[in-house]
Amino acid sequence: MSFDVDYFRALETPRLARLGPNVVAAAFPLMKLMPARFILDQAEKSGELKVGAHIVETTSGTFGMAVALLAAARGFRLTLVTAASLIDQTYQERLERLGAKVVALADKRGDGNQTGRLAHLRAVMENEPDAFWTRQYDSPGNWQSYARLAELFVRSMGQVDWLVGCIGTGGSLCGTGTFLRQVYPHLQIAAVDTHRSVLFGQPLGKRMLRGLGNSVLPANVRHHLVDEVHWVGAYAAYHSAHSLFRNQGIFMGPTSGAAALVGEWIGRTNPGSVVAVIMPDEGHRHANTVYDDRWLAALPGWPCAPVCEPEILVAIEPRDEWEWTRFEWSRRLLEDVPRPVGIS
Amino acid sequence: MPLIANDLKRTMLAKPARGQAFGHHGELVQGVFEDEHGHLHRGLVTLPIDSLRSTAWFAVDESGDIDVEPRGRDKALRAAQLALAHLGYPSLGGRLKVESDIPVGHGYGSSTADVVASMRAVAAALGARLLPSTSSRLAVAAEVASDAIAFETEALLFAQREGVVLEHFGGSLPPFVLVGFKGEAAAGIDTLELVPARYSSEEIQLFRVLRGMVARAVRYQDTRLLGQAATMSARISQRHLPKPYFDVVVDIASHYQALGIQVAHSGSLFGLMLDAQSASREKIHPIIAALEGRRFHDIGIFPINVEERTHVL
Repeated sequence: MSFDVDYFRALETPRLARLGPNVVAAAFPLMKLMPARFILDQAEKSGELKVGAHIVETTSGTFGMAVALLAAARGFRLTLVTAASLIDQTYQERLERLGAKVVALADKRGDGNQTGRLAHLRAVMENEPDAFWTRQYDSPGNWQSYARLAELFVRSMGQVDWLVGCIGTGGSLCGTGTFLRQVYPHLQIAAVDTHRSVLFGQPLGKRMLRGLGNSVLPANVRHHLVDEVHWVGAYAAYHSAHSLFRNQGIFMGPTSGAAALVGEWIGRTNPGSVVAVIMPDEGHRHANTVYDDRWLAALPGWPCAPVCEPEILVAIEPRDEWEWTRFEWSRRLLEDVPRPVGIS
Repeated sequence: MPLIANDLKRTMLAKPARGQAFGHHGELVQGVFEDEHGHLHRGLVTLPIDSLRSTAWFAVDESGDIDVEPRGRDKALRAAQLALAHLGYPSLGGRLKVESDIPVGHGYGSSTADVVASMRAVAAALGARLLPSTSSRLAVAAEVASDAIAFETEALLFAQREGVVLEHFGGSLPPFVLVGFKGEAAAGIDTLELVPARYSSEEIQLFRVLRGMVARAVRYQDTRLLGQAATMSARISQRHLPKPYFDVVVDIASHYQALGIQVAHSGSLFGLMLDAQSASREKIHPIIAALEGRRFHDIGIFPINVEERTHVL
């Protein structure tokens, strides 16, 4: 009997939402399934990932959940290395219920301790040569998997003029952007980052908005693809997520809120252009935080007024969590863009 | 009527019946594509040219063997045998005659057109009809590699080595005017002799996007999008089986604002895709002059899915 049925392919496929007359967003239930499935499929095909092998990865986010679902369904052992400051009890228990071993390292600086996590992971790899590291930060499979998203945008929108998406590992935005720009060379790409993420030259610091930006620089971030960078603060992202839910019935996480905020603004300021936005996760994980008034009320500076347009930065600098800034990156390499004073 | 019916050795069962098939101008897109189970197949989107045709006549008899005219059209002969067997008359024979206005060995798909026309003539002689999917499968058996010409102008993604359809795009290609030409003294190319391209993992992923563009272009009859997909496919092909003077073609296409560049991926054909609405005689003549100036030859103008064709001919 033959069925064209693949649960995980269906789960990784976004629903499309219209955010404006010229703006379409891909709203993912769990975007990271796309790279996770692609990387595991390729490794299984090449023989690099053997039956029942041990998979390892460092992640505090949804990539871990995606690999955990696939590892459970395909019979692999899984160890996820994360930071104590980044993972909540419920999420950890859900991962463990899927059979994953979660190693949560101490994180005194509050920046995610990515260096410590990578060191731990390398130690595991040295002890177990047959273990498979999915390497979402630098595996070409991460960005290449997003050809499926590029195909989906093309099938539903035809020509795309702007691509707007969050950046953390660089996989989704740089992958989708690489494929779309090959067929549409005029494509403009806007990267959505957050204050105190190092990806586009800000000084490292504590990031309030989880799942956006990074404290280290993954190889999958391809700076030369990016036309402009938007740094969206946590509060601005929360407001946008609330508005998506309240005004359009779309229940997404705050990073998706940040992408929607930028995408809607680009759509308004470029009325003749077709804008595609990537919204990577749903709101459920944030029900007790971003969507909880008591949790919000305890935040310093909350409530604040929502911002409706970015402030243009001449020099890159971090701002407050209610702020939203924009910088003309102009497809430069990171080393070609002047950094804030005192940062190397 | 081209057949002589007074051969005493043969007992005529019916008058010769006719079958026809189109030629093509290579492919709009060619690469490697996933089926619904995630398996990869080599596949292509053929660009049919309905003004280039092969016509076959078949008169069935009980001799048990098939004569073919002109002699040496072995693929057409084999196709007729396969069609007879498929239709349940493996012991019948007959006379097959093939006439074609498709130049041989230039990448216009002359041999597949002969094969498909022959099978159609056999089917017609027996009062039967072959579905395009059956013709394609038999054509692959007769020819080893093939194209989607049995589907006429129906746009689809075709796995040319298996003779199966990977995706029906659900309509015809959008209208455009093709200016076709060749870049080098056209030595006949045997497509089966060529080593198939080994695409990178990135290229295979990019083919997904091209497939999506063709699907959209057919659904919304968007020639510009089809042109963008064809151009990208030609560029990828250029990395594996480079055609001389491709850069010159790119320059001419850009100068005359062609919607796209189309190539025969394993042949020597180029095509410039022009907007059907604005492709007037005045617009096309300078393009032809420019191509001739750069020593391109065998220049032909092919209206594709255009109702009014007099404006360019």
